[in-house]
Amino acid sequence: MQPTQAPIQIPEVIQLIDLKYYLIISTALFVIGIIGVLTRRNAIIIFMSIELMLNSVNLLLIAFSSYRSDPTGQVFVFFIMAVAAAEVAVGLAIIVMIYRNTRSIDVGLLNKLKW
Amino acid sequence: MKATEIIFYVLTAITLLSASFVVTARNPVHSVLALILTFFCLTGHYVLMNAQFLAAVNIIVYAGAIMVLFLFTIMFLNLQKEDEESKTTLTKMAAVVVGGVLLVVMVAVFRAASVAPYDPATYNTRVGLVESLGMVLYKDYLLPFELASVLFLVAMVGAVMLGKREPGDRHF
Amino acid sequence: MLPIILLSVFGIVLLFLGFLKTRAVLLPAALLFILIALGAGFLEWNKSYLYFGDMLLINNLAILFSTIVLISAFMVVALSGDFLEDEMAQPAEYYAILLFSIVGAMMMIGYENLIMLFVGVEILSVSMYILTGSDKRNLRSNEAALKYFLMGSFATGFMLFGMALLYGAVGSFTLTDIKSYILLSHGRPSLLLYMGELLVLIGMLFKVSAAPFHFWTPDVYEGAPTLFTAFMSTVVKTAGFAALLQLLSVSFSAIYGFWWVILAAITALTLLAGNLTAVYQNSFKRMMAYSSISHAGYLLIGLAALGQQSRSALVFYSLAYSLATISAFGILLLVAKQHTTDGRPDESYSAFNGLSRNNPLLAFVLAVSMLSLAGIPLTAGFWGKFMLFSAAVDRGMVWILILAVLMSAVGIYYYFRVVIAMYFREGQAGRIRVAPFYQFILIAATALTIILGIVPGLFQNIM
Repeated sequence: MQPTQAPIQIPEVIQLIDLKYYLIISTALFVIGIIGVLTRRNAIIIFMSIELMLNSVNLLLIAFSSYRSDPTGQVFVFFIMAVAAAEVAVGLAIIVMIYRNTRSIDVGLLNKLKW
Repeated sequence: MKATEIIFYVLTAITLLSASFVVTARNPVHSVLALILTFFCLTGHYVLMNAQFLAAVNIIVYAGAIMVLFLFTIMFLNLQKEDEESKTTLTKMAAVVVGGVLLVVMVAVFRAASVAPYDPATYNTRVGLVESLGMVLYKDYLLPFELASVLFLVAMVGAVMLGKREPGDRHF
Repeated sequence: MLPIILLSVFGIVLLFLGFLKTRAVLLPAALLFILIALGAGFLEWNKSYLYFGDMLLINNLAILFSTIVLISAFMVVALSGDFLEDEMAQPAEYYAILLFSIVGAMMMIGYENLIMLFVGVEILSVSMYILTGSDKRNLRSNEAALKYFLMGSFATGFMLFGMALLYGAVGSFTLTDIKSYILLSHGRPSLLLYMGELLVLIGMLFKVSAAPFHFWTPDVYEGAPTLFTAFMSTVVKTAGFAALLQLLSVSFSAIYGFWWVILAAITALTLLAGNLTAVYQNSFKRMMAYSSISHAGYLLIGLAALGQQSRSALVFYSLAYSLATISAFGILLLVAKQHTTDGRPDESYSAFNGLSRNNPLLAFVLAVSMLSLAGIPLTAGFWGKFMLFSAAVDRGMVWILILAVLMSAVGIYYYFRVVIAMYFREGQAGRIRVAPFYQFILIAATALTIILGIVPGLFQNIM
């Protein structure tokens, strides 16, 4: 016998808000991330701006996936989160390594090679 | 205006404001805290859209693991100081102009774009739950799922190799 | 499929071999593993398989690209004998990461779903960030790693946003679904699709260092340990172009009219930026970095003129380019070790002065690889360029062809600088001792370059 499941309504936000709003919000987040990467010099803050960009992608994928009621978009978000975690581990290891050698993580001070 | 709409607009406003604060704050610790706030707001959006499982994972992975790693590094390396000399105003202006143009272009394209609307007749409300995600992940996406473990192995080996203290290196 | 599984397992085995006291076993083990994977790849020759619910497509084209990647990796590992003697080096980890990175490259070569492309790109890139920074005490290597990491993740952000938009338009990540969506839309697909394709292209062009997304390349290539530069400039490029070829030919061939103009403009820009800046370099290694940008430009011609002919041209060109580049870096490794200034190996042109007097073999190998890169007849590089250019002729892209020929002429200038230095300049280069196996690899690569240059038909018969 199937256990009875409580019916779930279509989320209200989907009925009330147009999908384009989510497109515009994620674009705005994405652009904020790009501006952060281009304007800041602290490697950690640049890195956080990149995380913002990835999160805008997550929001966009989940919005598309929910509005279409198709689970693959949300599965992709899993992969993005997994990859982001792996990247963070490597990125912070690189930053720690540089700090050991230079005592600074300002990308502008790293000018053995021109930035 | 319904409650959901109000929640949506408030969440959106906080998301964008705190995201802007991440890239403008002078102190890295403030940036991290603003970023955590952004993640929580995004989680709110996920809950609104009925993607409950990803909402939980977002808190655990992003706000939990990734941001703790960031904070840990910042505190460990003692980087809370605001000693960052900023880039020239010209570079900043150029970057903001580039970003603004990109935003305008993309929004203009999206306004003109045709987006498939949601279909109440075929809408499946259980999409964001563990059950349906698990079915897709472990059936259709099994291969990339397994191969993602190679990525983790590489990242683990690499992080240990690069972060390890060699004989003769300073402590922090 | 089999090579992917084998390489993942062999990578773990290599990590365990690292526990052994004797490091000498690592190099032959890594070489053996790569050879086994190479052989296993050919078991699927002439059979076309789709694996795991349309995730991975293995056909002859994919096997050929994987073979080029494996040959490049084999040569790089074979030239890595120095690590076994260096106290600071951790060869077991290096070899394991190299094998894992090939898994990523193979995912990029045979993907049928954008998720596979994404995971593959990330495996390859994360491995490269680590290997770039593997010379931990060297500040240049550190900086190169940081720069590569930040720029690489930035590019990944663009690629992901593009994929999300494609998903928004199509509702699926499968390449064939994207294709059928475009065909069913009667020439009016959603604008999201165009924007998405553009952003994915930007992300991928970043990875293969096409202009104007190439600015990180010279610094990263110069800062990374030479051997890993050789690996990066060959494997990442081959896999990146295979991925672009797959994406454009499977999914987007129906909207060729939209993207070929963009790609042609980027091709022209890349050819100009790579070749003209390479002229002004004084360091051989930095010149090779710009040369790799210019070769990305030549390969892009094959993509912009997409057709049946451009597939075989891209494979042939990647092979010729990889052989020549790795042997050039192999010689640089030997020569730079002889001349150190302030404890740093000297990588300028002057280090090669008078090389031919005492080391005729090394000078000959480097000369042949320079000729091949410049595209002089009787070398593989000539036929590679010839095939790409004739693909462009078929599409009637005359202006790009004229530009490419002009830029090849510029290329002859900077490639011949090192040949002139070796044969006509006075230098005090002593005799360089080369391990027999190292010598064998260099000779084999040179022989292959010349054989493919004399009888290119040999290769076309395989295709």
